[in-house]
Amino acid sequence: MRFWEIGKRNLKELYRDPVSLGFLLGMPLAFILIFSFAFGGQDTRPISLGIVDEDQSQISAVFVDCLESIPAFEVSSPIYKSQTEAEEELNAGGLSIYLLIPHGFGEAIEHHQASKLTLAYNQAAPMLPQRVMPIVREAALGFLNIPVPLNVELSEKQVEIKDEYINYLIPGMAVFGLMILITSVGGIMVRDRARGFLSRLMTTPARPSDFIFGYTLPFIPVIIISIAIYLGVGILMGLSIIGNFGLAFLILFIMGICCMGIGMILGTLAKSEEQASGAPWMFIVPLAMISGAWWPVEQMPSVIKSIAEALPFIHAMDACRDVITKGVGFTSILPELYWFIGWTAALFAIGIVLFRRSMAR
Amino acid sequence: MDAIRTFKLTKRFNSLIAVNSIDLKIEQGELFSLLGPNGAGKTTTINMLCCLLKPTEGTAQIMGYDTIKEPLKVKELIGVSPQETAISEHLNSWENLALIGKIHGMSSDAVKSRSGELLEVMGLTERGKDRVGKFSGGMKRRLSTAMAMVHAPSILFLDEPTLGLDPQARRATWEHIAQLKGKKTILLTTHYMEEADFLSDKVAIIDEGRIVAEGAPGQLKANFLKTRTMLISAENITDELMYGLKGRYSQVKEVEGKLRISDKKLDFRELTDYLYLKGATVHSAALEEPTLEDVLIQLTGKEFRD
Ligand SMILES: Nc1ncnc2c1ncn2[C@@H]1O[C@H](COP(=O)(O)OP(=O)(O)OP(=O)(O)O)[C@@H](O)[C@H]1O
Ligand SMILES: [Mg+2]
Repeated sequence: MRFWEIGKRNLKELYRDPVSLGFLLGMPLAFILIFSFAFGGQDTRPISLGIVDEDQSQISAVFVDCLESIPAFEVSSPIYKSQTEAEEELNAGGLSIYLLIPHGFGEAIEHHQASKLTLAYNQAAPMLPQRVMPIVREAALGFLNIPVPLNVELSEKQVEIKDEYINYLIPGMAVFGLMILITSVGGIMVRDRARGFLSRLMTTPARPSDFIFGYTLPFIPVIIISIAIYLGVGILMGLSIIGNFGLAFLILFIMGICCMGIGMILGTLAKSEEQASGAPWMFIVPLAMISGAWWPVEQMPSVIKSIAEALPFIHAMDACRDVITKGVGFTSILPELYWFIGWTAALFAIGIVLFRRSMAR
Repeated sequence: MDAIRTFKLTKRFNSLIAVNSIDLKIEQGELFSLLGPNGAGKTTTINMLCCLLKPTEGTAQIMGYDTIKEPLKVKELIGVSPQETAISEHLNSWENLALIGKIHGMSSDAVKSRSGELLEVMGLTERGKDRVGKFSGGMKRRLSTAMAMVHAPSILFLDEPTLGLDPQARRATWEHIAQLKGKKTILLTTHYMEEADFLSDKVAIIDEGRIVAEGAPGQLKANFLKTRTMLISAENITDELMYGLKGRYSQVKEVEGKLRISDKKLDFRELTDYLYLKGATVHSAALEEPTLEDVLIQLTGKEFRD
């Protein structure tokens, strides 16, 4: 149980240092905030609005024209003739909200009678109707010139959404956030080496594996908390998890262990603290990028794509996305899982060999 | 069986030969001091003996175990207090001691009672629960030394254990080390020669990676000190007499009203006769005890090297 003793010591070193701990846990939060700002920028863009014109009257056609001229909307074409068409599109994720102009709309207007419009929206976008409704009201008033009683009814639809960016982003961000751990894991080992503490431990009967596990295990709580932050904040921002939450968590957890393996190898090889905690940034960001953390890699050159495919990160992201958005089960992500579990095992094996070599130079 | 044995132990760092073909033979229970100027190769030797550095050539054995072939066996037997104070800053003293003790397989109870004793010896009991990062330099060093001893190893490597300690703490450390004499094999390095003289059964003087002298402190002083020094208190010392003395002896100084005379061949009788002849009145004359420091300086050349 020597690794346990070393691990306990590192746990204390890590958690009694509020600055480094704050950095570790604050990092995921900071990244999410930064990205949600960039993400929030989408709100100023026109809302893509579907319109179903069941009425097919002259009046309804003019009303549609009027809606189309509103800059806040980007009315998707064609204008649907039946609600089922729009419903399909909503279910496919191509549309988040649509306005239904019912039969008899034109006639009701002509006779100055009250009419009813329906806004149907995806429940995963609860903020949309609040933005759309006032504009529709305003448009109806302006179009008719006289206030006509016009009800806008909301209809919430439970829809499986597939192409929401947030669902793409959160798994990517989570893996990127775990990659950041690489710098911390290496850092603590290098600091101990620089201060001679690692040498002191090396004069005890601790074995290479005791060091490797002793220097990585304390980060497990950090991994768990980081993943919880990523998924939790993701859910707050509209991430909808179709599949098994636990499975998504597990995938990210294994990815975290894999990243610890990388950090520990860097900590073994690095000569200075800068090398262990500074230099990794130079490859973490590009690797996250080519692995598709923030946007899909389809357009990338095939060479870069195959590099990304060989590395573990893209597999973790894809597996996690499949679970989250498609609800796939354990068996269907096994190939991806094998790939980065293999990486993790290999990294730890290499780490132990390298550490053994570093013990007596 | 010897506790520590080296055969032509050599360490090269690129072109620099830090340790040059050293043969050490340290018996069980012996307190052996490695003395020498900065950069002589003391720490490098210790690092090879405790499996931290691979010898470039030669081998080392601890209780018969080869440091390269059976490092784990060696590590079970040794306790090391490195020259660099190596402690865990965010832990308190108890936790630091427990870490080393537990890695060596001690039980919690054993670690606790042993740590209590050592903290008492090192005068750290009161600060035992404080994070050691806040300790003064000397306190850190005392803890570092205690960490080498917590698992009661049969072989101790102490690389400058008294560096930066106040006089009381140094005494306490000496006394503790002295108590261990005979029971543990101890390899000590220090730049305080009186410490080495007081504690050691045997010393080796190392210079530029080579052992230039080895033996019991008294033996070394007797063998290697070619100059002898006398302190003389006398009256009527004329300039002419001073001039004459300087012609006869290699070093003549006036220190606090006394004459301090050193020379390779200094004969008590001859000197007092000469003084008497020249009309001086001798009140007292004493042969100054040579120190290990004199031996070291004489053997390693210059008093200061850069
Ligand atoms: N890791 C290293 N790489 C290169 N040279 C080294 C290394 N460690 C020690 N040396 C060199 O080896 C020589 C011996 O160093 P060592 O630390 O053994 O001296 P020392 O006798 O312990 O000195 P001190 O009294 O100052 O502690 C020095 O010239 C030093 O510069
Ligand atoms: Mg030294």
